[in-house]
Amino acid sequence: MDRAFRRKLTNGVFVGACGLATIIALAALVLILWSLVKEGVGGIDGKIFTMTQPAPGSPGGLKNAITGSLMMCAAGMAIAVVVGILAGTWLAEYGGQTPYGHAVRFLNDVLLSAPSILIGLFVYEIMVAHLFGHFSGYAGALALALLAVPIVTRTTEDMLALQPNTLREAGMALGAGRGFVIRSIIWKAASAGLLTGGLLGFARISGETAPLLFTSLGNQFFSLDMAQPMASLPTTIFQFALSAYDDWRRLAWVGALLIAVAVLAVNTIGRLLARETHRP
Amino acid sequence: MNDIATPVAPTSPNIAASTEAPIMMRPTGELVLEARQLDFSYGKTQSLFGVDLPVERNRITALIGPSGCGKSTLLRALNRIYDMYPGQHATGRVLLNGEDILSDRGSISRLRARDGEVALNPSGLDTSALRARIGMVFQKPTPFPMSIYDNVAFGVRLHHRKSKAEMDVIVERSLKRAALWDEVKDKLSASGLGLSGGQQQRLCVARGIAVEPEVLLLDEPASALDPVSTAKLEATLMELKKDFTIVIVTHNLQQAARISDHTGFMFLGKMIEFRPTAELFERPQSPRTRDYVTGRFG
Repeated sequence: MDRAFRRKLTNGVFVGACGLATIIALAALVLILWSLVKEGVGGIDGKIFTMTQPAPGSPGGLKNAITGSLMMCAAGMAIAVVVGILAGTWLAEYGGQTPYGHAVRFLNDVLLSAPSILIGLFVYEIMVAHLFGHFSGYAGALALALLAVPIVTRTTEDMLALQPNTLREAGMALGAGRGFVIRSIIWKAASAGLLTGGLLGFARISGETAPLLFTSLGNQFFSLDMAQPMASLPTTIFQFALSAYDDWRRLAWVGALLIAVAVLAVNTIGRLLARETHRP
Repeated sequence: MNDIATPVAPTSPNIAASTEAPIMMRPTGELVLEARQLDFSYGKTQSLFGVDLPVERNRITALIGPSGCGKSTLLRALNRIYDMYPGQHATGRVLLNGEDILSDRGSISRLRARDGEVALNPSGLDTSALRARIGMVFQKPTPFPMSIYDNVAFGVRLHHRKSKAEMDVIVERSLKRAALWDEVKDKLSASGLGLSGGQQQRLCVARGIAVEPEVLLLDEPASALDPVSTAKLEATLMELKKDFTIVIVTHNLQQAARISDHTGFMFLGKMIEFRPTAELFERPQSPRTRDYVTGRFG
Protein backbone atom coordinates (compact mmCIF):
# COMPACT_ATOMS: atom_id res chain seq x y z
CA MET A 1 0.00 0.00 0.00
CA ASP A 2 1.61 3.27 -0.95
CA ARG A 3 1.91 6.09 1.48
CA ALA A 4 -0.44 8.54 -0.18
CA PHE A 5 -3.24 6.00 -0.17
CA ARG A 6 -2.64 5.09 3.45
CA ARG A 7 -2.76 8.74 4.41
CA LYS A 8 -5.95 9.26 2.48
CA LEU A 9 -7.49 6.20 4.10
CA THR A 10 -6.52 7.31 7.62
CA ASN A 11 -7.83 10.77 6.89
CA GLY A 12 -11.09 9.37 5.55
CA VAL A 13 -11.61 7.12 8.57
CA PHE A 14 -11.10 9.93 11.06
CA VAL A 15 -13.11 12.52 9.17
CA GLY A 16 -15.89 9.93 8.94
CA ALA A 17 -15.69 9.20 12.67
CA CYS A 18 -15.83 12.91 13.48
CA GLY A 19 -18.82 13.34 11.19
CA LEU A 20 -20.59 10.40 12.82
CA ALA A 21 -19.98 11.75 16.31
CA THR A 22 -21.31 15.14 15.24
CA ILE A 23 -24.42 13.59 13.76
CA ILE A 24 -25.09 11.59 16.93
CA ALA A 25 -24.70 14.67 19.13
CA LEU A 26 -26.81 16.84 16.85
CA ALA A 27 -29.47 14.15 16.53
CA ALA A 28 -29.87 14.01 20.30
CA LEU A 29 -30.18 17.80 20.44
CA VAL A 30 -32.66 17.94 17.58
CA LEU A 31 -34.77 15.14 19.13
CA ILE A 32 -34.88 16.92 22.47
CA LEU A 33 -35.82 20.23 20.89
CA TRP A 34 -38.36 18.54 18.65
CA SER A 35 -40.14 16.79 21.47
CA LEU A 36 -40.10 20.02 23.52
CA VAL A 37 -41.64 21.98 20.70
CA LYS A 38 -44.15 19.25 19.83
CA GLU A 39 -45.38 18.84 23.38
CA GLY A 40 -44.92 22.39 24.60
CA VAL A 41 -45.84 24.78 21.85
CA GLY A 42 -49.53 23.86 21.94
CA GLY A 43 -49.77 24.90 25.59
CA ILE A 44 -48.38 28.41 25.08
CA ASP A 45 -51.04 31.06 25.40
CA GLY A 46 -51.51 34.36 27.22
CA LYS A 47 -52.39 32.57 30.46
CA ILE A 48 -48.87 31.18 30.78
CA PHE A 49 -47.48 34.61 31.51
CA THR A 50 -50.45 36.16 33.30
CA MET A 51 -51.73 33.47 35.66
CA THR A 52 -50.08 31.63 38.48
CA GLN A 53 -49.97 27.87 38.75
CA PRO A 54 -53.40 26.29 38.99
CA ALA A 55 -54.95 23.61 41.09
CA PRO A 56 -55.39 20.46 39.00
CA GLY A 57 -58.30 20.86 36.59
CA SER A 58 -58.52 24.66 36.66
CA PRO A 59 -56.94 27.12 34.22
CA GLY A 60 -53.58 28.64 35.11
CA GLY A 61 -50.10 29.56 33.96
CA LEU A 62 -46.50 29.82 35.08
CA LYS A 63 -46.27 33.49 36.02
CA ASN A 64 -45.04 32.79 39.56
CA ALA A 65 -42.45 30.28 38.36
CA ILE A 66 -41.15 32.49 35.54
CA THR A 67 -40.84 35.51 37.83
CA GLY A 68 -39.14 33.49 40.55
CA SER A 69 -36.68 31.96 38.13
CA LEU A 70 -35.79 35.31 36.62
CA MET A 71 -35.30 36.93 40.03
CA MET A 72 -33.20 34.15 41.52
CA CYS A 73 -31.08 33.71 38.37
CA ALA A 74 -30.49 37.46 38.15
CA ALA A 75 -29.52 37.70 41.81
CA GLY A 76 -27.36 34.60 41.53
CA MET A 77 -25.58 35.91 38.45
CA ALA A 78 -25.05 39.32 40.05
CA ILE A 79 -23.13 37.62 42.84
CA ALA A 80 -21.36 35.15 40.54
CA VAL A 81 -20.16 37.74 38.02
CA VAL A 82 -18.65 39.99 40.68
CA VAL A 83 -17.00 37.18 42.65
CA GLY A 84 -16.03 35.16 39.58
CA ILE A 85 -14.46 38.00 37.61
CA LEU A 86 -12.53 39.25 40.63
CA ALA A 87 -11.35 35.74 41.52
CA GLY A 88 -10.43 34.93 37.92
CA THR A 89 -8.57 38.20 37.58
CA TRP A 90 -6.64 37.53 40.75
CA LEU A 91 -5.69 34.07 39.49
CA ALA A 92 -4.63 35.32 36.06
CA GLU A 93 -2.90 38.55 37.00
CA TYR A 94 -1.71 38.37 40.59
CA GLY A 95 -1.57 35.25 42.71
CA GLY A 96 -2.08 32.45 40.20
CA GLN A 97 1.44 31.07 40.48
CA THR A 98 1.71 31.18 44.26
CA PRO A 99 0.93 28.07 46.34
CA TYR A 100 -2.24 29.80 47.55
CA GLY A 101 -3.18 30.50 43.94
CA HIS A 102 -2.70 26.86 43.00
CA ALA A 103 -4.90 25.84 45.93
CA VAL A 104 -7.62 28.29 44.92
CA ARG A 105 -7.55 27.07 41.31
CA PHE A 106 -7.73 23.44 42.43
CA LEU A 107 -10.67 24.09 44.74
CA ASN A 108 -12.40 26.04 42.01
CA ASP A 109 -12.03 23.06 39.68
CA VAL A 110 -13.48 20.81 42.37
CA LEU A 111 -16.43 23.16 42.77
CA LEU A 112 -16.85 23.21 39.01
CA SER A 113 -17.74 19.55 39.02
CA ALA A 114 -19.43 19.37 42.41
CA PRO A 115 -22.89 17.79 42.24
CA SER A 116 -25.41 20.61 42.37
CA ILE A 117 -27.51 18.82 44.98
CA LEU A 118 -24.58 19.08 47.40
CA ILE A 119 -24.46 22.82 46.84
CA GLY A 120 -28.18 22.90 47.61
CA LEU A 121 -27.67 20.96 50.85
CA PHE A 122 -24.80 23.21 51.84
CA VAL A 123 -26.86 26.35 51.43
CA TYR A 124 -29.79 24.63 53.16
CA GLU A 125 -27.64 23.97 56.22
CA ILE A 126 -26.41 27.53 56.42
CA MET A 127 -29.30 29.69 55.32
CA VAL A 128 -32.43 27.61 55.64
CA ALA A 129 -31.68 25.57 58.72
CA HIS A 130 -29.81 28.24 60.67
CA LEU A 131 -29.76 31.79 59.33
CA PHE A 132 -33.34 32.29 58.15
CA GLY A 133 -35.04 29.30 59.65
CA HIS A 134 -37.15 28.85 56.54
CA PHE A 135 -36.91 28.45 52.76
CA SER A 136 -36.32 31.64 50.78
CA GLY A 137 -35.53 33.10 47.40
CA TYR A 138 -32.25 34.45 48.81
CA ALA A 139 -31.13 30.94 49.66
CA GLY A 140 -32.04 29.83 46.13
CA ALA A 141 -30.09 32.72 44.59
CA LEU A 142 -27.06 31.93 46.76
CA ALA A 143 -27.13 28.26 45.72
CA LEU A 144 -27.31 29.27 42.06
CA ALA A 145 -24.48 31.77 42.58
CA LEU A 146 -22.27 29.07 44.10
CA LEU A 147 -22.85 27.00 40.97
CA ALA A 148 -22.01 29.83 38.60
CA VAL A 149 -18.99 31.28 40.44
CA PRO A 150 -16.55 28.52 39.44
CA ILE A 151 -17.62 28.76 35.80
CA VAL A 152 -17.16 32.51 35.67
CA THR A 153 -13.88 32.28 37.59
CA ARG A 154 -12.49 29.68 35.24
CA THR A 155 -13.45 31.40 32.01
CA THR A 156 -12.23 34.75 33.33
CA GLU A 157 -8.83 33.31 34.20
CA ASP A 158 -8.55 31.54 30.84
CA MET A 159 -9.59 34.59 28.85
CA LEU A 160 -7.25 36.95 30.69
CA ALA A 161 -4.38 34.50 30.32
CA LEU A 162 -4.93 34.63 26.55
CA GLN A 163 -4.16 38.34 26.44
CA PRO A 164 -0.56 38.93 25.35
CA ASN A 165 1.90 40.17 27.95
CA THR A 166 3.06 42.88 25.58
CA LEU A 167 -0.36 44.49 25.98
CA ARG A 168 0.22 44.74 29.74
CA GLU A 169 3.75 46.00 29.18
CA ALA A 170 2.52 48.57 26.68
CA GLY A 171 0.09 49.95 29.24
CA MET A 172 2.69 50.03 31.98
CA ALA A 173 5.27 51.55 29.63
CA LEU A 174 3.00 54.58 29.42
CA GLY A 175 3.07 54.87 33.18
CA ALA A 176 -0.18 53.14 34.07
CA GLY A 177 -0.31 51.07 37.24
CA ARG A 178 -0.97 47.37 37.12
CA GLY A 179 -4.56 47.57 38.34
CA PHE A 180 -5.40 50.32 35.92
CA VAL A 181 -3.93 48.36 33.01
CA ILE A 182 -6.07 45.36 33.96
CA ARG A 183 -9.27 47.37 34.34
CA SER A 184 -8.95 49.61 31.33
CA ILE A 185 -7.08 47.45 28.82
CA ILE A 186 -7.02 43.77 29.69
CA TRP A 187 -10.69 43.45 30.72
CA LYS A 188 -11.67 45.33 27.60
CA ALA A 189 -9.54 43.15 25.35
CA ALA A 190 -11.07 40.06 26.95
CA SER A 191 -14.62 41.41 27.15
CA ALA A 192 -16.08 38.95 24.66
CA GLY A 193 -14.61 36.06 26.59
CA LEU A 194 -15.78 37.43 29.93
CA LEU A 195 -19.29 37.79 28.52
CA THR A 196 -19.17 34.21 27.28
CA GLY A 197 -18.22 33.10 30.78
CA GLY A 198 -21.20 34.91 32.24
CA LEU A 199 -23.54 33.39 29.68
CA LEU A 200 -22.18 29.90 30.27
CA GLY A 201 -22.82 30.40 33.95
CA PHE A 202 -26.32 31.65 33.30
CA ALA A 203 -27.06 28.74 30.98
CA ARG A 204 -25.85 26.36 33.64
CA ILE A 205 -27.96 27.71 36.49
CA SER A 206 -31.15 28.54 34.62
CA GLY A 207 -32.08 24.88 34.38
CA GLU A 208 -30.86 23.78 37.80
CA THR A 209 -33.47 22.03 39.95
CA ALA A 210 -31.67 20.16 42.68
CA PRO A 211 -30.15 23.12 44.52
CA LEU A 212 -33.48 24.95 44.51
CA LEU A 213 -35.42 22.07 46.05
CA PHE A 214 -33.63 22.57 49.36
CA THR A 215 -33.38 26.32 49.29
CA SER A 216 -36.20 28.23 47.58
CA LEU A 217 -38.54 25.23 47.83
CA GLY A 218 -41.20 26.57 45.48
CA ASN A 219 -44.30 28.66 45.96
CA GLN A 220 -47.67 28.15 44.34
CA PHE A 221 -48.51 31.84 44.72
CA PHE A 222 -47.06 34.82 42.99
CA SER A 223 -44.39 36.48 45.14
CA LEU A 224 -41.72 39.10 44.68
CA ASP A 225 -40.41 38.74 48.21
CA MET A 226 -37.08 36.96 48.08
CA ALA A 227 -37.12 36.47 51.83
CA GLN A 228 -39.99 34.04 51.34
CA PRO A 229 -40.11 30.69 49.54
CA MET A 230 -40.06 31.29 45.82
CA ALA A 231 -41.34 29.42 42.80
CA SER A 232 -39.03 28.59 39.91
CA LEU A 233 -39.48 26.97 36.53
CA PRO A 234 -37.28 23.93 37.14
CA THR A 235 -38.90 23.01 40.46
CA THR A 236 -42.36 23.55 38.98
CA ILE A 237 -41.48 21.34 36.03
CA PHE A 238 -40.19 18.72 38.44
CA GLN A 239 -43.40 18.83 40.48
CA PHE A 240 -45.80 18.96 37.53
CA ALA A 241 -44.06 16.43 35.29
CA LEU A 242 -44.27 13.80 38.02
CA SER A 243 -47.92 14.53 38.74
CA ALA A 244 -50.90 12.48 37.61
CA TYR A 245 -52.76 15.41 36.04
CA ASP A 246 -52.68 15.99 32.29
CA ASP A 247 -52.97 19.78 32.50
CA TRP A 248 -50.08 19.97 34.99
CA ARG A 249 -47.96 17.79 32.74
CA ARG A 250 -48.80 20.06 29.80
CA LEU A 251 -47.62 23.07 31.82
CA ALA A 252 -44.40 21.18 32.62
CA TRP A 253 -43.73 20.79 28.88
CA VAL A 254 -44.38 24.49 28.32
CA GLY A 255 -41.98 25.39 31.16
CA ALA A 256 -39.30 23.13 29.73
CA LEU A 257 -39.74 24.72 26.31
CA LEU A 258 -39.47 28.21 27.82
CA ILE A 259 -36.19 27.38 29.57
CA ALA A 260 -34.74 25.83 26.42
CA VAL A 261 -35.71 28.80 24.28
CA ALA A 262 -34.38 31.27 26.86
CA VAL A 263 -31.01 29.53 27.10
CA LEU A 264 -30.79 29.31 23.33
CA ALA A 265 -31.66 32.98 22.96
CA VAL A 266 -29.18 34.09 25.61
CA ASN A 267 -26.42 32.07 23.98
CA THR A 268 -27.20 33.45 20.55
CA ILE A 269 -27.30 37.04 21.79
CA GLY A 270 -24.01 36.47 23.56
CA ARG A 271 -22.39 35.16 20.38
CA LEU A 272 -23.63 38.13 18.40
CA LEU A 273 -22.41 40.58 21.03
CA ALA A 274 -19.06 38.84 21.18
CA ARG A 275 -18.73 39.10 17.41
CA GLU A 276 -19.65 42.76 17.58
CA THR A 277 -16.95 43.56 20.14
CA HIS A 278 -14.38 41.60 18.17
CA ARG A 279 -15.11 43.45 14.96
CA PRO A 280 -12.53 46.15 14.49
CA MET B 1 23.43 32.92 7.52
CA ASN B 2 26.71 31.16 6.88
CA ASP B 3 26.44 28.04 4.79
CA ILE B 4 29.92 26.85 5.57
CA ALA B 5 30.13 24.86 8.74
CA THR B 6 32.98 26.80 10.24
CA PRO B 7 32.48 27.80 13.84
CA VAL B 8 32.61 31.58 13.95
CA ALA B 9 31.94 32.11 17.61
CA PRO B 10 34.76 31.00 19.87
CA THR B 11 34.11 27.71 21.60
CA SER B 12 34.47 29.28 25.01
CA PRO B 13 32.88 32.63 24.37
CA ASN B 14 32.60 33.88 27.93
CA ILE B 15 36.29 33.77 28.55
CA ALA B 16 37.13 35.19 25.16
CA ALA B 17 34.64 38.01 25.50
CA SER B 18 35.73 38.94 28.98
CA THR B 19 39.31 39.62 27.92
CA GLU B 20 38.17 42.30 25.52
CA ALA B 21 37.61 45.82 26.77
CA PRO B 22 34.65 47.54 25.13
CA ILE B 23 35.53 50.04 22.44
CA MET B 24 33.57 53.14 23.39
CA MET B 25 33.50 56.45 21.60
CA ARG B 26 33.80 59.64 23.58
CA PRO B 27 30.38 61.28 23.73
CA THR B 28 30.28 64.62 21.96
CA GLY B 29 26.75 65.80 22.78
CA GLU B 30 24.62 66.12 25.87
CA LEU B 31 23.76 62.77 27.44
CA VAL B 32 20.08 62.26 28.22
CA LEU B 33 20.23 58.67 29.27
CA GLU B 34 23.21 56.68 30.32
CA ALA B 35 23.77 53.13 31.49
CA ARG B 36 26.92 52.58 33.53
CA GLN B 37 28.30 49.18 34.42
CA LEU B 38 24.82 47.71 34.17
CA ASP B 39 24.31 44.08 35.20
CA PHE B 40 20.98 42.38 34.66
CA SER B 41 19.70 39.00 35.81
CA TYR B 42 16.69 36.91 35.00
CA GLY B 43 16.52 35.02 38.27
CA LYS B 44 19.88 33.29 38.57
CA THR B 45 20.83 33.78 34.93
CA GLN B 46 22.88 36.87 34.39
CA SER B 47 22.39 38.32 30.94
CA LEU B 48 24.08 41.72 31.02
CA PHE B 49 27.62 42.17 32.22
CA GLY B 50 28.83 45.68 33.04
CA VAL B 51 27.23 47.37 30.05
CA ASP B 52 27.85 51.05 29.31
CA LEU B 53 25.53 52.94 27.03
CA PRO B 54 25.66 56.68 26.45
CA VAL B 55 22.56 58.08 24.76
CA GLU B 56 22.88 61.58 23.30
CA ARG B 57 20.03 64.02 23.02
CA ASN B 58 18.20 64.22 19.67
CA ARG B 59 20.12 61.33 18.24
CA ILE B 60 19.05 57.86 17.18
CA THR B 61 21.05 55.24 18.99
CA ALA B 62 20.85 51.73 17.54
CA LEU B 63 21.64 48.50 19.35
CA ILE B 64 22.62 45.57 17.17
CA GLY B 65 23.86 42.08 17.84
CA PRO B 66 22.89 38.45 17.41
CA SER B 67 19.78 37.04 19.10
CA GLY B 68 20.17 36.66 22.83
CA CYS B 69 23.01 39.17 23.08
CA GLY B 70 21.07 41.27 25.57
CA LYS B 71 20.03 44.26 23.49
CA SER B 72 16.33 43.95 24.32
CA THR B 73 17.22 43.30 27.94
CA LEU B 74 19.26 46.49 28.02
CA LEU B 75 16.35 48.41 26.54
CA ARG B 76 13.95 46.96 29.13
CA ALA B 77 16.27 48.00 31.93
CA LEU B 78 16.23 51.62 30.76
CA ASN B 79 12.58 52.22 31.69
CA ARG B 80 12.44 49.54 34.37
CA ILE B 81 9.64 47.68 32.64
CA TYR B 82 11.26 44.53 34.04
CA ASP B 83 9.86 45.60 37.43
CA MET B 84 6.68 43.80 36.39
CA TYR B 85 8.38 40.46 36.74
CA PRO B 86 9.54 39.11 40.06
CA GLY B 87 13.06 37.75 39.96
CA GLN B 88 14.39 40.13 37.32
CA HIS B 89 16.75 42.75 38.58
CA ALA B 90 19.31 45.23 37.45
CA THR B 91 22.34 46.55 39.28
CA GLY B 92 24.67 49.32 38.23
CA ARG B 93 23.42 52.71 37.22
CA VAL B 94 20.95 54.07 34.76
CA LEU B 95 21.08 57.86 34.71
CA LEU B 96 18.28 59.93 33.27
CA ASN B 97 19.57 63.50 33.07
CA GLY B 98 22.08 62.54 35.70
CA GLU B 99 19.52 61.11 38.12
CA ASP B 100 19.97 57.44 38.96
CA ILE B 101 16.74 55.58 38.28
CA LEU B 102 18.04 52.32 39.79
CA SER B 103 19.23 53.98 42.97
CA ASP B 104 18.97 52.90 46.58
CA ARG B 105 20.08 49.35 46.13
CA GLY B 106 20.47 48.91 49.84
CA SER B 107 16.73 49.09 50.30
CA ILE B 108 16.25 46.61 47.45
CA SER B 109 18.19 43.95 49.29
CA ARG B 110 16.44 44.81 52.54
CA LEU B 111 13.02 44.49 50.96
CA ARG B 112 14.02 41.35 49.16
CA ALA B 113 15.13 39.81 52.43
CA ARG B 114 11.78 40.65 53.94
CA ASP B 115 9.37 39.96 51.09
CA GLY B 116 11.24 37.47 48.95
CA GLU B 117 11.51 37.76 45.18
CA VAL B 118 8.52 39.93 44.51
CA ALA B 119 8.20 42.86 42.19
CA LEU B 120 9.26 45.85 44.19
CA ASN B 121 9.50 49.52 43.66
CA PRO B 122 12.37 49.83 46.04
CA SER B 123 13.79 53.27 45.59
CA GLY B 124 10.52 55.04 46.13
CA LEU B 125 11.05 56.22 42.59
CA ASP B 126 7.80 56.97 40.84
CA THR B 127 8.02 54.47 37.97
CA SER B 128 4.81 55.90 36.56
CA ALA B 129 6.38 59.34 36.20
CA LEU B 130 9.60 57.73 34.95
CA ARG B 131 7.76 55.94 32.17
CA ALA B 132 6.08 59.14 31.13
CA ARG B 133 9.60 60.42 30.46
CA ILE B 134 10.80 57.29 28.71
CA GLY B 135 8.32 55.87 26.18
CA MET B 136 8.48 52.41 24.68
CA VAL B 137 7.29 50.75 21.48
CA PHE B 138 7.33 46.99 21.17
CA GLN B 139 8.17 44.46 18.49
CA LYS B 140 4.57 43.52 17.83
CA PRO B 141 2.12 46.39 17.50
CA THR B 142 0.10 46.66 20.71
CA PRO B 143 -2.89 48.89 20.04
CA PHE B 144 -5.30 48.95 22.97
CA PRO B 145 -8.84 47.68 22.35
CA MET B 146 -10.28 51.15 22.03
CA SER B 147 -10.62 53.90 19.46
CA ILE B 148 -7.65 55.46 17.68
CA TYR B 149 -8.31 58.69 19.57
CA ASP B 150 -8.44 56.98 22.96
CA ASN B 151 -5.28 55.03 22.17
CA VAL B 152 -3.34 58.25 21.71
CA ALA B 153 -5.05 59.95 24.65
CA PHE B 154 -4.53 57.01 27.01
CA GLY B 155 -1.10 57.98 28.31
CA VAL B 156 -1.88 61.70 28.45
CA ARG B 157 -4.97 61.07 30.58
CA LEU B 158 -2.83 59.14 33.05
CA HIS B 159 -0.65 62.10 33.78
CA HIS B 160 -2.60 65.26 32.95
CA ARG B 161 -6.10 66.55 33.16
CA LYS B 162 -6.90 68.07 29.78
CA SER B 163 -9.99 69.63 28.29
CA LYS B 164 -11.52 68.04 25.23
CA ALA B 165 -10.15 70.84 23.04
CA GLU B 166 -6.64 70.50 24.47
CA MET B 167 -6.77 66.75 24.03
CA ASP B 168 -7.91 67.13 20.42
CA VAL B 169 -4.81 69.22 19.75
CA ILE B 170 -2.52 66.70 21.43
CA VAL B 171 -4.04 63.76 19.56
CA GLU B 172 -3.79 65.52 16.20
CA ARG B 173 -0.22 66.67 16.80
CA SER B 174 0.91 63.21 17.95
CA LEU B 175 -0.69 61.46 14.99
CA LYS B 176 0.86 64.00 12.61
CA ARG B 177 4.30 63.54 14.12
CA ALA B 178 3.89 59.78 13.78
CA ALA B 179 2.90 60.32 10.12
CA LEU B 180 -0.44 58.64 10.63
CA TRP B 181 -2.79 61.63 10.70
CA ASP B 182 -3.68 61.69 7.02
CA GLU B 183 -4.62 58.02 7.08
CA VAL B 184 -6.84 58.13 10.17
CA LYS B 185 -8.13 61.70 10.52
CA ASP B 186 -11.59 60.69 9.27
CA LYS B 187 -11.93 57.66 11.54
CA LEU B 188 -10.54 58.68 14.90
CA SER B 189 -13.40 56.95 16.69
CA ALA B 190 -12.79 53.65 14.88
CA SER B 191 -11.04 50.87 16.77
CA GLY B 192 -7.25 50.91 16.71
CA LEU B 193 -7.38 47.17 16.08
CA GLY B 194 -8.77 47.79 12.59
CA LEU B 195 -5.59 49.40 11.29
CA SER B 196 -2.93 47.58 9.29
CA GLY B 197 0.19 46.34 11.07
CA GLY B 198 2.28 49.30 9.94
CA GLN B 199 -0.43 51.77 10.90
CA GLN B 200 -0.83 50.07 14.27
CA GLN B 201 2.89 50.43 14.91
CA ARG B 202 2.79 54.13 14.04
CA LEU B 203 -0.25 54.44 16.30
CA CYS B 204 1.87 52.99 19.10
CA VAL B 205 4.56 55.56 18.29
CA ALA B 206 1.95 58.32 18.40
CA ARG B 207 0.67 56.99 21.73
CA GLY B 208 4.22 56.92 23.07
CA ILE B 209 5.09 60.48 22.03
CA ALA B 210 1.75 61.97 23.07
CA VAL B 211 3.02 62.14 26.66
CA GLU B 212 6.08 64.07 25.41
CA PRO B 213 8.73 61.71 26.72
CA GLU B 214 12.37 62.67 26.54
CA VAL B 215 13.44 59.29 25.25
CA LEU B 216 11.62 56.81 23.06
CA LEU B 217 12.73 53.17 23.28
CA LEU B 218 11.87 50.92 20.34
CA ASP B 219 12.32 47.16 20.49
CA GLU B 220 12.59 45.86 16.93
CA PRO B 221 9.63 48.00 15.89
CA ALA B 222 9.83 47.05 12.22
CA SER B 223 10.43 43.33 12.43
CA ALA B 224 6.74 42.52 12.00
CA LEU B 225 6.26 45.04 9.17
CA ASP B 226 6.53 44.83 5.40
CA PRO B 227 9.16 46.93 3.56
CA VAL B 228 6.79 49.79 2.70
CA SER B 229 5.56 50.13 6.28
CA THR B 230 9.14 49.83 7.49
CA ALA B 231 10.24 52.69 5.23
CA LYS B 232 7.39 54.85 6.55
CA LEU B 233 8.27 54.04 10.13
CA GLU B 234 11.94 54.84 9.51
CA ALA B 235 11.06 58.16 7.90
CA THR B 236 8.89 58.89 10.95
CA LEU B 237 11.75 58.16 13.32
CA MET B 238 14.16 60.36 11.37
CA GLU B 239 11.65 63.17 11.68
CA LEU B 240 11.02 62.48 15.39
CA LYS B 241 14.64 62.79 16.43
CA LYS B 242 14.30 66.57 16.11
CA ASP B 243 12.15 66.50 19.23
CA PHE B 244 13.00 63.24 20.91
CA THR B 245 15.90 61.01 21.70
CA ILE B 246 15.51 57.55 20.26
CA VAL B 247 17.03 54.21 21.18
CA ILE B 248 16.20 51.41 18.78
CA VAL B 249 16.98 47.70 18.97
CA THR B 250 17.14 46.12 15.56
CA HIS B 251 18.09 42.88 13.88
CA ASN B 252 18.27 44.69 10.60
CA LEU B 253 21.78 46.02 10.04
CA GLN B 254 20.76 48.10 7.04
CA GLN B 255 18.11 49.72 9.18
CA ALA B 256 20.66 50.64 11.83
CA ALA B 257 22.98 51.98 9.13
CA ARG B 258 20.18 53.97 7.48
CA ILE B 259 18.70 55.76 10.43
CA SER B 260 21.00 55.78 13.43
CA ASP B 261 23.67 58.22 14.49
CA HIS B 262 25.35 55.92 16.96
CA THR B 263 25.43 52.16 17.02
CA GLY B 264 26.30 49.78 19.78
CA PHE B 265 27.23 46.21 18.95
CA MET B 266 26.48 43.77 21.72
CA PHE B 267 27.57 40.19 22.11
CA LEU B 268 26.85 37.72 24.90
CA GLY B 269 25.58 40.36 27.29
CA LYS B 270 28.42 42.81 26.75
CA MET B 271 28.85 45.99 24.83
CA ILE B 272 31.63 45.21 22.37
CA GLU B 273 31.81 48.42 20.40
CA PHE B 274 29.89 51.68 20.60
CA ARG B 275 30.69 54.31 17.96
CA PRO B 276 29.21 56.62 15.38
CA THR B 277 27.24 54.46 12.98
CA ALA B 278 29.23 55.16 9.83
CA GLU B 279 32.52 54.42 11.57
CA LEU B 280 31.24 51.24 13.17
CA PHE B 281 30.00 49.86 9.89
CA GLU B 282 32.89 51.03 7.71
CA ARG B 283 35.82 50.65 10.06
CA PRO B 284 34.85 48.28 12.86
CA GLN B 285 37.67 48.00 15.37
CA SER B 286 36.72 44.81 17.11
CA PRO B 287 37.13 41.65 15.02
CA ARG B 288 33.81 40.47 16.45
CA THR B 289 32.02 43.58 15.24
CA ARG B 290 33.66 43.20 11.85
CA ASP B 291 32.48 39.60 11.57
CA TYR B 292 28.95 40.61 12.45
CA VAL B 293 28.55 43.69 10.27
CA THR B 294 30.14 41.99 7.27
CA GLY B 295 27.66 39.14 7.64
CA ARG B 296 30.10 36.43 8.63
CA PHE B 297 27.80 35.39 11.44
CA GLY B 298 24.59 36.42 13.13
